[in-house]
Amino acid sequence: MTPVEQIVFLLKAVPVTLAISFLSFLLGLGLGVSLAFMRIYGIAPLRYFSDSYEKFFRSVPVLAVMLLLYFGLGPLLPIFKDPFFTSVISLGIVSGANQSQIFRSAISSVGRTQMLAAISIGLTQLKALRYVIFPQALFLAVPGLGSEIALLIKDSAYSFIIGVIELMKHTDILRASQRSLILPYISSAIIYVVMTFPVANYLDKWGSRKKRELGL
Amino acid sequence: MTSILECRELMKAYGKVIAVNNVSLGIGRGETKVIFGPSGSGKSTLLRCLGLLEKPTKGSVYFNGVDVYVSKQDLNKLRARIGFVFQEPSLFRHLTALGNVMLGLKHVSGLSDAEARRKAYEALKLVRMEDWVNYYPAQLSGGQQQRVGIARAISMDPEVVLFDEPTAALDVELKWEVISVMKDLADRGTTMLVATHELRFAKEVADEMIFMDQGQVLEVGSPDHFFTSPNTERARKFMAKILG
Amino acid sequence: MLFLLDYSTFLINGFIITVEVTLIGVGLGLILGILAALGDIFGGRIIKIIVNVYVEFFRGSPLIVQLFIFYFTIPMITGIRMDVMLTAILTLALNSGAYQKGYLKGAMEAVFKDQLMAALSLGLPTWKIFLYVVVPQALRIVIPAWSNELASMGKSTTALIVIGVREFLNTGISITAQTFRPLETYAFITIVYFIWIYSMLKALDMLYNKIKIPGLEPVI
Repeated sequence: MTPVEQIVFLLKAVPVTLAISFLSFLLGLGLGVSLAFMRIYGIAPLRYFSDSYEKFFRSVPVLAVMLLLYFGLGPLLPIFKDPFFTSVISLGIVSGANQSQIFRSAISSVGRTQMLAAISIGLTQLKALRYVIFPQALFLAVPGLGSEIALLIKDSAYSFIIGVIELMKHTDILRASQRSLILPYISSAIIYVVMTFPVANYLDKWGSRKKRELGL
Repeated sequence: MTSILECRELMKAYGKVIAVNNVSLGIGRGETKVIFGPSGSGKSTLLRCLGLLEKPTKGSVYFNGVDVYVSKQDLNKLRARIGFVFQEPSLFRHLTALGNVMLGLKHVSGLSDAEARRKAYEALKLVRMEDWVNYYPAQLSGGQQQRVGIARAISMDPEVVLFDEPTAALDVELKWEVISVMKDLADRGTTMLVATHELRFAKEVADEMIFMDQGQVLEVGSPDHFFTSPNTERARKFMAKILG
Repeated sequence: MLFLLDYSTFLINGFIITVEVTLIGVGLGLILGILAALGDIFGGRIIKIIVNVYVEFFRGSPLIVQLFIFYFTIPMITGIRMDVMLTAILTLALNSGAYQKGYLKGAMEAVFKDQLMAALSLGLPTWKIFLYVVVPQALRIVIPAWSNELASMGKSTTALIVIGVREFLNTGISITAQTFRPLETYAFITIVYFIWIYSMLKALDMLYNKIKIPGLEPVI
C-alpha cells in the first residue's frame, strides 16, 4: 500500500472510534448526572451508593474492567462476548464516575443562594433543580466534560485488546501487513491528536467564556 | 386586625448558637415595618424563618391566622405568596431579567408564556427596569440586580414582601435607586417587612420600627419614638452610632 | 479464589512492577513537567512552541500509541534499541510530564505574581526568589492535582501490556490462560487496584491536610 492508502485505511476506522467514544460518553453522562444528584440531594443510602460507586470506579483501570467483563462475564452472559458492547459499557461505567465528580463540582459552584432564591418564589425542589440549578451546572461542567470526551477518545484504544476493530486495531493491522513501524504509529498518533485537540480546547474556551458572561 | 404574617415565640438555633431567641411579632395588611439592629442580631435569620425558607427550632409561624407547620400546608404554595428579597445577588444567572421574573409566573403560577411575559414586564416597569429586560444579571449593576430581584418577588402578587437588608451589599451610589423603589412600593400600600440599616427610609415610610439585638426584640415603637427618645440603652446607643 | 495463592509470587512481582513504574514515571514526569512549565513561562518563542507541541502530542494521543512509537518506531529511526522497561519508564515519564506541566505552570504563575513583588522588595535575586519562595508554595497548591496524577498513572500502567511488560494486569492474563478462571482472577486484580489506588489517594489527602497552609488552597 502506498502511504496515502495506508492513511486512508486508518481514517476508515475513525467512525468506529468516535462511535465508541460517543456512546460511552452518553452512558457516562446518564450515570454521572444521576450519581451527582443522588449524592447531593438524595437520602442516605443513595448518597452512600453514589459515593462508593464514584470512589471505586475512579480507582480502577479501565482495561481491568474491560477484561473482567469480556473474559470474566462473557462466558456467563453472552452479550459481553461482543467486544464493541463490552468496551462501550466498560468505558461508560468508569466515565460515569468521572462525570459524577465533574457534575458535583459544577452543582456546588452554582451556589446555595440560587436554590434559596428558587424556593423563595415557590418552586418545588424538583423544579428548582430542573429550571435553575441544572442549567447553570451544565454550563459549568462543559470544560470538564470536554476533557472527559477527549479522555474517552484516547481510552477507546484499549478496546483493540479485546478485538474491537477501531483505529488502534487498524494501526496494528498496518504494522503487521506492511512491516512498517514508522508510518502507521505516527499517523495514528496524529489522527488521535486531531480528534482530541479541538474537543478539549474549544469546549474549555467556550466554557470559560460562558462563565465570565454569566458571572459565575 | 388579623395579621398576614406572624411569628410567636420563635426560636432558631444552629447547633449551640441561638440566632433568634423568643421573638413574637406580626405584620398586617398595608403595613410597613422595619427591623433594625447591629450585625449578627438575628434579623436575617428571623426573616428567613418568616419567609418559610428555614424551619424554626421552636415556636410557630402564622400565615393569615393559620399555623403553617401544624396545619401541614404546602409550603411551596405559601412561599409563592410571600415575596422575599435577598441581600446577596440572587438572580438566576442563566436567565435575563425578564426570564428571571417570568420563571415563577410560568412554573409556579402556571401562566401561559404570553401572560407571564406581560406580567413580568409590568413588574419590571414598576421597578423602572423596563429598558433592561433582556440583559443578563452579570451585565447589570448591583442596584439594578436588586431591583429585578424586587420585581421577581412582587410579580406573583404576594400578600407580604420581606426584604433582607436589600441595600447592604451595594455601593453607596447604588443604594438610592433601590430605596426609592421600595418607597414607591410602600406608598402603594404593599405590606412590607424590611430588615435594614437605612434609617432614613424607616423614618419616612415605616409604620413601626423593631429593634433587635443578639437574637431578641428589645424595643418596638414608631419612627418618631426611636428618633427622639428610645427607651433602652442599647437602642439609644445604636441610633446614635448610625445617625452619627 | 484460593487458587490464586498458588500464583502469589507471580502476582506480587507483577504488582511491584506496577507500583515501581508508577512512582518512577510520575517522579520523572514531575521533573519534566517543571522544566516544561519553566520553559513555557520564561522561554523564548521557539522554546514555547517546542513545549506546547510536546504537551499537545502526549496529552492528545493514547498512551498505547506512544508506547508503540517509543518501542518500535524510534528504534527503527535511530537504530538504538532500548529494553522494554526502559522504554516503558521513558514513555510514562514523558506522558506524565505533559500532564503535570499544565497544573505546575498554573501553580507557579499563581504564586509568582503575588510573591515576586514582595520578595524583590527584600532584595532577593530572581533565582533565589524562585527556589525559596515560589516553589515551596507552588508545591503545596499542586498536591491535590498531583495525587490525581498518581492515581491516573497507576491506572494507565495497564497499557504497558501491549509492549509485554509483566505488570500486574498482565499477570492476570497469564494466570487466566493457565487456570481458565477469568472471573475470579480479574475480579481479584481489579479489587487490588482499587485498594492500592484508593489508599494512595487517602494518604496524600491526609498529607495535604497536614501541610496545608490556610489561604493557599488551590483554585480549581
